[in-house]
Amino acid sequence: MNQRSFASAFRKNRLGLVGLAGVAIFLLVGLIAPIFVPYPKGYGTEIMVSPSLTHIFGTDGLGLDILSEIIWGARTSIYVSSIAVLLAFAIGVPAGLVSGYFRGVPGSIIDTLIDVFLTLPVLPLIIVIAAVVGSSITNVAVVIGLFSWPSLARVTRNATLRVTEMQFIEAARCLGIKQRVILFKHILIVIAGPILVNLTLIMATSVLSEAGLSFLGLGDPSTWSWGTIIKKAWDAGAIIDTPNPYWWWFTPSISIILYVVCFNLLGNAINDALNPKSRD
Amino acid sequence: MSTKQEQPFLEAKGLTKHFNVSHKLFSKPVWIHAVDDVSFAVQRGETLGIVGESGSGKSTLARLLLNLIEPNAGSVRFKGVDLFSMTKSKESTFRREMQMVFQDPYASLNPRIKIGEAIAEPIRANRVMDGKSRIEARVAELLEMVGLSADVAHSYPHEFSGGQRQRIGIARALGVSPEFLVCDEVVSALDVSIQSQILNLFAELKEKLGLTYIFISHDFSVIRHVSDHILVMYLGEAVEIAPVDELFQNPAHPYTRALISAIPEPDLDVASEKIILEGDIPSAEAPPRGCRFSTRCYMAREECGIRHAEMASIGENHLVRCSFALG
Repeated sequence: MNQRSFASAFRKNRLGLVGLAGVAIFLLVGLIAPIFVPYPKGYGTEIMVSPSLTHIFGTDGLGLDILSEIIWGARTSIYVSSIAVLLAFAIGVPAGLVSGYFRGVPGSIIDTLIDVFLTLPVLPLIIVIAAVVGSSITNVAVVIGLFSWPSLARVTRNATLRVTEMQFIEAARCLGIKQRVILFKHILIVIAGPILVNLTLIMATSVLSEAGLSFLGLGDPSTWSWGTIIKKAWDAGAIIDTPNPYWWWFTPSISIILYVVCFNLLGNAINDALNPKSRD
Repeated sequence: MSTKQEQPFLEAKGLTKHFNVSHKLFSKPVWIHAVDDVSFAVQRGETLGIVGESGSGKSTLARLLLNLIEPNAGSVRFKGVDLFSMTKSKESTFRREMQMVFQDPYASLNPRIKIGEAIAEPIRANRVMDGKSRIEARVAELLEMVGLSADVAHSYPHEFSGGQRQRIGIARALGVSPEFLVCDEVVSALDVSIQSQILNLFAELKEKLGLTYIFISHDFSVIRHVSDHILVMYLGEAVEIAPVDELFQNPAHPYTRALISAIPEPDLDVASEKIILEGDIPSAEAPPRGCRFSTRCYMAREECGIRHAEMASIGENHLVRCSFALG
């Protein structure tokens, strides 16, 4: 893969650049900003202040600065989605490659496993497991990751099935290239597009899942996440109150939406840039 | 060389491959008779042409020869060594000596791998040589050998035409310095004007590198042009095998006669009578009993539907599978 031609193809995609910029901002905010912004805890003096210069996103029912909560929430989101993606990648991609390439017995066993996992009702199961293993943020991330791999494995398997039939795979076998290299280079490089897109999707949906769990009270109560902020706003009745402290629930919601959209845009742009045929 | 004649360079005996096309768990297997009891020998430096309609088992035969699929029966001996009973370590040396050029130049190159890497990888994988700069020099040499410039190494396959890609496929196969090359329909996906260029390249390379070819095509004029011996296949079986001149002068099998009569004749004065075969090649799932060609044969008699003829010699190096050709 030529780094320069990939970069130049990527640079032509404006939406992709927007996505990349968004992802970069979230990463930067999540990783660096907590050094400068104090961790919001205890009580503040100014309760439910609307956005102003001192509190750009306003304050919540305890008088804590919502911007700080969002920033610390971004760190949680990145942490959760990174672990979920790593897990899904480590399980899903090899499972999909092996089941797509070797068919036969190992293939159908893995395929059945994927089917079983895909038919399981994920949210109730995550709730049960999160309740059993306890609500640490790492547990939540691992549980989300364990339920994210089947969709990735399915995408990988379908793409692998298609590519394995291609003549260049037979040519590679004929040329004496090792099976491991064929799987993890020749096939993986061709199906990298759909896999990367699926990974960015998992990056996005795992944050949604985490927000959902936190909103249900199954998140880590001692860690700020966007879902936790919305839950606290909901518990305080802020979402239906009049006059409505819109800043309390609006900013975390918009953060989740932006996070999901940016990762999806990035995924699509990567897919386009990886395909040499779409380059000029 | 004459002392070596007793041991052919490549010898196939009774090669048979049946595919089960029914994948339902409890249903009866449905067998496709892709290749049935095919035997032939190729001497070093020769070209054997294999000709037949699509569905006659030519490509399956090629894959059997290269050990890409396992046969149900039969053996292939390459330089006296049985290919199907050899150890893994021996198999890797044999990989370097036998290679294949594929049918579809658009599908036989990985679209995401650059030309240079595609050619260099098998050289590295088979430990033909090592050292980055040495391999790079070898890649450049191979590209020039097939008539391309060395700097195409930095491009992707989609930047090339079909003919250029086929040259790249040839360079890749030659990277491991094989002595024996199986060419499976290598020109059928190309424009007629490009076909002759590629065929000339094959002839040139054979001369230069002392290669032995098996050339597979459905196009009899291509096969006639390149071959020393010709094997005619029909529905998975060899029906006739002979040196090229002998085959064109005395075609013995009705199917061979029909194929030869269908070759376009450039000389208008020669009034050739075309034999038009009726119908399609029957399904390989249930090949006709008796002679497999009997359902389309213009000479068929009643007994042809019952008796299955064996390959029999009718002259020097000339074998045919037909009850009447034997006279």
